[in-house]
Amino acid sequence: MAEFAYEPEPELSLGPGERAEAVAGQSPWRLAARRLWRNRVAMAGLVLFLLIVLVSFLAPVYANHIAHTDALQPNVNGTTVVNGKTVEVIQQGGGPLGLGENPIGPTWQTNYFIGADQNGRDVAARVLYGGRSSLLIGIGSALIACLIATIIGLIAGFFRGLTDSALSRLMDLIWAFPVYLLAITLSTVLLTTNGLQWGPIHLDASSLWIPTIIIGVIYVPYVMRPVRGQVLSVREKEFVDAAIAQGASNWRLVFSEILPNIITAVIVLLPLMIATTILTEAALSYLSIGVQPPNASWGTIIQDGQALLYTRPWVAIAPGIMIVLTVLSLNLLGDGVRDALDPRAKVRLRK
Amino acid sequence: MIKASRFAILGSVAALALLAAGCGGGGGSSSSSTSSTSGGGGKKGGTLNTVANAAPSGSPDPQINYTLQEWQLLIMTHDGLVAFKRVGGPDGFKLVPDLATSIPAPTDGGKTYKFTLRKGIKFSDGSTLDPQDVLSTFERLFKIKQSPNAGTWYAGIVGADACLKKPETCDLSKGVVIDKAANTVTFHLSKADPEFLDQLAVPFAFILPSSTPDKEVQIPPAGTGPYKWATYNPNSQIKLVRNPNFKVWSADAQPAGNPDVIVQKFGLSTEAEVTAVENGQADWMFDPPPSDRLTEMSTKYTSQVHINPLTAVWYYAMNVRIPPFNNLKARQAVNYAVDHDALVKIYGGPKLATPTCQILPPNFPGYEPYCPYTKNPGSGKWTAPDMAKAQQLMNESGQKGQSVDVITDTIEQDKAHGEYFVGLLNKLGFKAKLKALSPDLQYPYVQNSKNKPQFSWSSWYQDYPAASDFINILLGCGSYHPNSNASPNISEYCVKSTQDKIDQALNTQVTSQTKANQQWAQIDKILVNQAVWVPMFNPKYLDFVSKRVTGYQFSPQWYFLLDQASVAG
Amino acid sequence: MATFIIRRLTWAVIVTLVITILVFLLFFKTPGIDPARQMAGRNPDPQTIAAIKHEFGLDRSLPVQYALMMKRMFISRDLISYQYHNKVIPQLVDAAPVTFSLVLGASILWIVGAIVIGVAAAVLRGTIFDPLLMVISLIGISIPVFWLGEVANLITQDRLHDSVFSWVPPLGYVPLTQDPWQWFLHLVIPWFVLSVLYIGFYARVLRANLIETEGEDYVRTARAKGISEERVMFRHTLRTSLITFVSLFGLDFGILVAGSTLLVEVVFNLHGIGYLTYNSLTRLDLPVIMATVIYGAIFIVFANAIVDILYARLDPRVRPT
Repeated sequence: MAEFAYEPEPELSLGPGERAEAVAGQSPWRLAARRLWRNRVAMAGLVLFLLIVLVSFLAPVYANHIAHTDALQPNVNGTTVVNGKTVEVIQQGGGPLGLGENPIGPTWQTNYFIGADQNGRDVAARVLYGGRSSLLIGIGSALIACLIATIIGLIAGFFRGLTDSALSRLMDLIWAFPVYLLAITLSTVLLTTNGLQWGPIHLDASSLWIPTIIIGVIYVPYVMRPVRGQVLSVREKEFVDAAIAQGASNWRLVFSEILPNIITAVIVLLPLMIATTILTEAALSYLSIGVQPPNASWGTIIQDGQALLYTRPWVAIAPGIMIVLTVLSLNLLGDGVRDALDPRAKVRLRK
Repeated sequence: MIKASRFAILGSVAALALLAAGCGGGGGSSSSSTSSTSGGGGKKGGTLNTVANAAPSGSPDPQINYTLQEWQLLIMTHDGLVAFKRVGGPDGFKLVPDLATSIPAPTDGGKTYKFTLRKGIKFSDGSTLDPQDVLSTFERLFKIKQSPNAGTWYAGIVGADACLKKPETCDLSKGVVIDKAANTVTFHLSKADPEFLDQLAVPFAFILPSSTPDKEVQIPPAGTGPYKWATYNPNSQIKLVRNPNFKVWSADAQPAGNPDVIVQKFGLSTEAEVTAVENGQADWMFDPPPSDRLTEMSTKYTSQVHINPLTAVWYYAMNVRIPPFNNLKARQAVNYAVDHDALVKIYGGPKLATPTCQILPPNFPGYEPYCPYTKNPGSGKWTAPDMAKAQQLMNESGQKGQSVDVITDTIEQDKAHGEYFVGLLNKLGFKAKLKALSPDLQYPYVQNSKNKPQFSWSSWYQDYPAASDFINILLGCGSYHPNSNASPNISEYCVKSTQDKIDQALNTQVTSQTKANQQWAQIDKILVNQAVWVPMFNPKYLDFVSKRVTGYQFSPQWYFLLDQASVAG
Repeated sequence: MATFIIRRLTWAVIVTLVITILVFLLFFKTPGIDPARQMAGRNPDPQTIAAIKHEFGLDRSLPVQYALMMKRMFISRDLISYQYHNKVIPQLVDAAPVTFSLVLGASILWIVGAIVIGVAAAVLRGTIFDPLLMVISLIGISIPVFWLGEVANLITQDRLHDSVFSWVPPLGYVPLTQDPWQWFLHLVIPWFVLSVLYIGFYARVLRANLIETEGEDYVRTARAKGISEERVMFRHTLRTSLITFVSLFGLDFGILVAGSTLLVEVVFNLHGIGYLTYNSLTRLDLPVIMATVIYGAIFIVFANAIVDILYARLDPRVRPT
């Protein structure tokens, strides 16, 4: 049998000798922030995420001052020092036929920590550089998707009728459109025509904006549906009727009444979307239609690692681990944010 | 990936033993076959399971398809009037009579060839071979309109130009004169063509039953070979089964096959193919194995690996008409700076490729080792890059700071080569960027001068052992078509003095091959000095077979002879 | 309901039409794409290219080509591919059951898995199991599916093939009608690989919704009425929590069957719609691309319509639009 206990906030119960005073009210956002701060798991997630971001952006520092290797230039004939001995970065295979050229495996030292790839580049340093691209694209496209989807979802759910129909069908169109074809043809166009020029904006094939925008747009329908569903539900609630009775305009209804109540849905979805977009970027880069050289991303490194999977699995494993850690941290943070924003958090259900 | 889709190998009538020195790369290795007794030996029975990543691209019609993959199968199901001897080793370039009783010497100034057909040869559909089939086959070559070389190789047959203009009503009865009673076929050419016999020995000219429809077919029709096509589904597999009507008439031309059934299944990635062959689930893989498996293959499966040399070259073509490579010093600088060892390493190591500085491959008519772009030149072999000289030339050229697009395709290895060159060009002072296009797009793209390709990857595998096949096709004026995506002269090089020398060598070839070879060697040197390319290396061919496969033979013409291997017992 | 269905069907046709036109334009307006040149092979003479252009109607104007292609696709049904010159529709017919088998098995796995994990995590909230289960789900979400497939192959076909995984057959597909046991064996590993991503995602979504619904008034009322926990969970909270679950599932199922299984199919050598799509895209084989796009678009719109109907049934406040 369930029972519930009411736990008042400590500050709200009077201690001995205290008198009740008028207390300035605290905004729900400040309360939420404080709850979030106290959530250790969420804070751990935030710290981990910030750590990954920091480390990725310090990639040049690692490459130049710690590892003393090059993550960007091919180094096929280079040598490096392991345990005091100078070895070739890419070594000829053994056996009676002497076939094959293998990059060195993990040295577990500062240089070539997890080994080299087929071009003799330091994979550990490269993973850090790749993090910059993947994070930028993942976060950027998730934000684009959520922003656009929220707007469209609000409009569709609020106005219903023909507007809703039209927007929902537009979403169908986008969702059904073959994304891979779009990505292939777009990258082909950009490669063969030296980029697009719109006034001052120049986008060439290696710009990170291309995958960001493509991925952002294709996930709009994915976020729009649950948002629209929430808007439809919230629309029927009493406080909306109350606001209408007060004579609120449509704008006010949408932005002051409905939006705050569905925003938590979007905020909960945001970290999940970043996870999805990072993975989509990996998939597109794996098919060579995402991030283009000279940029690297975790996806392109996994692609490089496919060709080395049987002999040097770390080249594919390392970026995968980075993806897992990033997504994990974002989700822990996201859970904390959701818990913090829940206006009913004062009431705790206990079994 | 073997890029050669064009495999008409026309053995030069002088038939130089091209691969005599080439057989068996490196001592002690289990590489190619020795030239054995011609086929037919070996235990019969069983199914040869082969795998390939994809079906041979293009139509399966034998008169249209131009891929090695399908040609390796067509030689087992069909025959021409003459054939390349079906053995491994240098003898594989010799022509022997196949459906004809003997190879005639041409008469009438080289314009007439009279063949007598063998009697009693049956197609797999039961019909008997007669001269009408030969006439119908050649008329069909024009009627189907899509045969890639109808307009070039077979256009010399009398009546062919009318056929090219109006294919539907093609009538070659004046050019291919048949006599049913005497069982003979006489070819009349409009002018002498020393390569005509070789053109008869490739699948375009394999004889089909006269009942074959005049439109493109979805599976090769009945043939005279030891096998017949049972299934052709490009999304799943090809299946060849024994032709019950086949009897051996010449073991040199068309020996009996050993396996009862030959299957080729599609779809596996090259990594999965290697695993399948190692596990015994497949007997041979068509595609070259990925480089990361090479060490494993050469240590644990040594006896199953076969390496054979190829007369082929990989190169980057520099566009000599637009900056920066319209400047000779800039071109030479790149040649001095390139580290061929690094390129070879990316390809799989020195056992799989040999560095080269020139156009013609080793063991080719007209080949004389020549390499000026190395430290301590003079031996003809490349030893090491000369960066100092390269930088000096760059400074003199005034091309520093120019932006260059390095155009290659998205295949892992090619991309890696491309990235190497981007790094190299940047080191020399250019501003280089990589452009990796999908393989289907890249080749036509770099041929089209409209796209202004500055530095493009390409490769060339011989069609037939003649220097003209490399030099004239890849660097001759006749191969440069501006604004067309069918212009094999990617460098867009056309200099009158060089072209005159090429034409002269072609003429000399008719009378003296040796003199012509000397002239070709000179032209090769001129082209190298002009640095029209950055030649990379000459690749080798690697076959990986399963443990139970015996009797491996490598023909210089058809590569691994599938039906001469055994899987039984 | 009838007007709803008719309206949705009309929309499906319009959407598909618009997509095919866009795809067509995209294809022909992309510089560098020249199907006749591609089909002609390595070094064709100009007559061959011209002949091919004429044979395949590539020298006609774009609208005419489009009309011809649609006619061949739907009316005479003899559309042939640029790559191998074989008929396109039978390829699609052969490929559809493969993708369907893959997605059906995986989706059963992931629905069951997600419900079990999601409900368990919500019920065990406050104990160590909740975060543990969520972390496990998170790891599942974070793994790129193509990478997982390759690693699975590495382990089952190579490293542990002689011991633990000797029962795993070579990569490929065996039709259910041909040999049900082999059909199953060939699909086991691909099912697990495909479902891993989705189990994690749906478990989390379900858990989040369950927790949110728990705070609702009507749940409190139910508990106050004395209804048992299981009933509260399954009849009250689960049902509303399934709303998001269902809408996302509909979208995902639709898009998977339409060919989003591309990467899994390529890695495991299953020749389904995704595999067909991938091959046709890399080879720029327009007829096959068109066929897969149309198939995909129809399926997705269809799946969305069904989801909307189900959504209306689960949440009576919403009527299908």
